[in-house]
Amino acid sequence: MTGSLSRATLLSTFARSFLIQGSWNYRTMLGSGFAFAMLPAINRLFPDEATRREALHRHMELFNAHPYMTNLALGASIELESEGADADTVRRFKMAVRGPLGSLGDGLVWATWLPGASLLALTLYGVGVPGWVTVLTFLFVYNAGHIGLRVWAFRAGLAEGRAVGGRLTRADLGGWTERLQGVASLLLGALVGGTLLGGEGLGFVTPLWIAIAGVAGLAGLLIGHRTWRPAAATVVAAVVLIAVLSTLGWLG
Amino acid sequence: MELLQLSLLGGVLALDATSVGQFMVSRPLVAGALTGWLLGAPETGLAVGAILELYLLVSFPTGGSRFPEGATASVVAAAAVGDGSAGAFALAVAAGLLWGQFAGETVTWLRRVNARLVPDPATGPITGARLTAAHLGAVAVDFARGAVVTVVGVALARPFVNGLSESWPLTQDTTLGLLLVGAAVSVGILLRDFGGFRRRAAVFLAGLVLAVIGARIL
Repeated sequence: MTGSLSRATLLSTFARSFLIQGSWNYRTMLGSGFAFAMLPAINRLFPDEATRREALHRHMELFNAHPYMTNLALGASIELESEGADADTVRRFKMAVRGPLGSLGDGLVWATWLPGASLLALTLYGVGVPGWVTVLTFLFVYNAGHIGLRVWAFRAGLAEGRAVGGRLTRADLGGWTERLQGVASLLLGALVGGTLLGGEGLGFVTPLWIAIAGVAGLAGLLIGHRTWRPAAATVVAAVVLIAVLSTLGWLG
Repeated sequence: MELLQLSLLGGVLALDATSVGQFMVSRPLVAGALTGWLLGAPETGLAVGAILELYLLVSFPTGGSRFPEGATASVVAAAAVGDGSAGAFALAVAAGLLWGQFAGETVTWLRRVNARLVPDPATGPITGARLTAAHLGAVAVDFARGAVVTVVGVALARPFVNGLSESWPLTQDTTLGLLLVGAAVSVGILLRDFGGFRRRAAVFLAGLVLAVIGARIL
């Protein structure tokens, strides 16, 4: 059905998806960005002023999901609007997919792919690979997955429309997350080894500090995200305290 | 001129974090390197960025969450590190971590502003042109926020680092050890997120051994 839309219109919508979080807010969350991305398609599909406005309004309603995975809802919404689905069907569809698209994307991208790409770059840096190589490697690896996911999600949404759930299940993103977490764990071990035991990029660290860092790492492992702020605050406080005391002449 | 360049860099990188693209040039590793390159010391900037990246490995740019802003924090830290001495390095990282928290609060403020900028269909009909203007206006406000947060941060952090770093008593290795203690917490949290030590012990230890061997060979 999206055959009624030109390739340029679809490309314009896809390009706008890169700005989908531009007006993220606590009232509609991604809603306004979603409508902004849908605009080229809405303008083509609804030549009549009144129906165009109605379509714009329904896509401005509250919506939230992972920004890359939102492309799946974007493509499917274009397909639904193209086939003339009624407003309630479009609303119900978006409401049904936003939770899964959020949790799948957060798990795959934010909790796995992004730290995995960072760990790869930091490991390379830790073992002495030139800095510009590590930065370019990070950007290339991360964005290969990032842009690939955006393209796949948009195309899957356009192709499947309201049946996109089946495609999502077949894609087994949960399984991919699981496998990538295994690779990321390997990189995490490599980072620890490269940085603390043999690396040059971050310098050599004495055994005492390795032991203290080990205890800190154990705290993070056992307690989780709640340890982050206290740990960062403690290090900041220690650095400032040492600097102030030594400036005052109270430390050697 | 230099402050203006840093400010523009901070604005652009702040946009990348959430509003535009998310190509992750806003991550500390890249932001630190870019700042260092801009100031003629890419290796020092990259080193600061690498430490902040280690800290912020567990900070994800999820839409609704509150998180320290790594992009502006890294520009501030890399711009404040100066000669890169041990004391300056530690204080610059500390300043970056502190400023990242504040910058994160300004993101919360921006989202409240956006709620007022974006037109509400309940209050009257909306045109595509009005929505586009509001959306791009919000992007522009985010850029301005990032630029201002960066320039104020650099203006505050530089005298802070310069004033306190001269009599820093710790050696470079000890300073690095101190900073890595905080970063180690992120490593533990990540291992927990990846499934926990029991489940990932074999691959984690395999990675550790491979890196040690690899580092010896390189």
